[in-house]
Amino acid sequence: MYEADRELVSRMLAGDQRAFDAFFGANAQRLAAFAARRSALDPASLEDVVQNALIKAIRNLATYRGEASLRTWLSEICRHELASVSRKMARRPAHVSLFESGATQQAVTQLRAPEHLEPAAELDSELRRGAVVRVLEALPERYAQALEAKYGDGLAVEDVARLLGLSTVAAQSLLARAREAFREHWRASAGAASEGSPL
Amino acid sequence: MSDTPQPKREASDAEIEQLLVSNLSTPPLSPEATERVRAAVSQAWEATTSPAQTHETRGHARHWGRWSGLTATSLVAIAVIFFAIKPVAEQDVIGSLARTSDGGIERTQGLIWHHALKVGDPLRVGETLTARSPALVALAEGGTLRLAGNSVIAVEAASQLSLEHGKLYVDKPVGVIASHPLRVATRVGLVEPLGTEFEVLSNDQVVRIRVREGQVRFSGATGVLVATVGTELLASSGGQVTQRPVPTFGNDWQWTAALAPDFAVEGRSLSDYLQWISRELGRPLVYANAQARERAQRTILHGSVRSEATLDTLADVLSSTSLTYELADGAIRVHFTR
Repeated sequence: MYEADRELVSRMLAGDQRAFDAFFGANAQRLAAFAARRSALDPASLEDVVQNALIKAIRNLATYRGEASLRTWLSEICRHELASVSRKMARRPAHVSLFESGATQQAVTQLRAPEHLEPAAELDSELRRGAVVRVLEALPERYAQALEAKYGDGLAVEDVARLLGLSTVAAQSLLARAREAFREHWRASAGAASEGSPL
Repeated sequence: MSDTPQPKREASDAEIEQLLVSNLSTPPLSPEATERVRAAVSQAWEATTSPAQTHETRGHARHWGRWSGLTATSLVAIAVIFFAIKPVAEQDVIGSLARTSDGGIERTQGLIWHHALKVGDPLRVGETLTARSPALVALAEGGTLRLAGNSVIAVEAASQLSLEHGKLYVDKPVGVIASHPLRVATRVGLVEPLGTEFEVLSNDQVVRIRVREGQVRFSGATGVLVATVGTELLASSGGQVTQRPVPTFGNDWQWTAALAPDFAVEGRSLSDYLQWISRELGRPLVYANAQARERAQRTILHGSVRSEATLDTLADVLSSTSLTYELADGAIRVHFTR
């Protein structure tokens, strides 16, 4: 079904530099965005996640059979990598002493983040992002892919169409249905949380 | 008027789109981070696709080998005909090999000439040169070309080289550059000197350009950039170019100083020598006072010095004079001592 992806992988396995360039160019930034939406990792940790996910994918290229799109296959590898990072972080000590030295204590107590990065605002923002991603992931896969590509990766409708193997008109129609499904799920999740307004 | 939310209100399409955009858009990986990831992933890919890894790949290599053998045979025949009818004298000489160590430079022309160059041998348009060890080339129109070991260049024209991989350094004295520029083509763009000293490095992941004196113009897939002295450009195969400041002196430049052309000291003024070593080391020359400058101009050197441009040789030369030096803010600061 995903002949173009299978061909790209075959060329990569044969050592074709252009195929590697195309693979990396199409996926590195997208995976970084995919990981950033689903975590609150700092940029250095995100870089590690993307790097590890791509290296794992490369090492398992020969197992790719084209049953899912390369994009979906890579996203799943990235999802596993995020879960692995999450498990490792959970094993770390949750508390760090700030009283090791007077200088450290002074420096820490003098720190103040910009207003939009104050803990409360940042938490709100993270919660909302998390809620949006959870709703997205509850949608049928094609809907989620279309919305994430269009509004997250900023692709034009024509590019979304190409990505999903559809005509432009079909992609527009899919996006409209996906938005509607998102709206319903969002309203339901907001209602369940007794939050009031969905927006 | 109230800020109380309206639970029953249906979100409009525009609001849904805004909600998605504001919560799904993320800052991209920085160009530096992308390059680091690319280098690591590329390495993993190369390891995966090396012939020893899979039967499929080995089969492909054998298949390709058979066809490449046939193709090579045909190309050799064409090359023989080509070189038989093209007089060697017609080919432009761009310079000659001035110095090399073990390994030297290997020359390939077409598919039939393949031999080591000796010091003094010319380099001609159409040749591909592989520097097995560091090498210094005296350019016919003035200036030098320095090649790091394991570098491969193709001489495409009298005024253009192509760096296939490795590292090179071009030094064209002021005055020569305008009339006889030497451009360097890389797989991601063209480097044209607007000034006089620059270094280009090319490997599988990236092409790096460092400007040590003057300016260079880099024309890549995404546009044209002018980089000034003390700037590094990092260009990836994907077309991204990043730039950052770099020092014009220090360990990274030692390989070029080790390949500095000989400076004939006999009968030359000390100030000439100081200018030369200042340029070779990438450190500005500063006289602490007028007396130091005057003494450097009036002092005439005799004998010989090691050709390497290092701070040690500078100290050797100054030890027999009434001048001393110190390094201050990257510059060589020369003092007069009674």
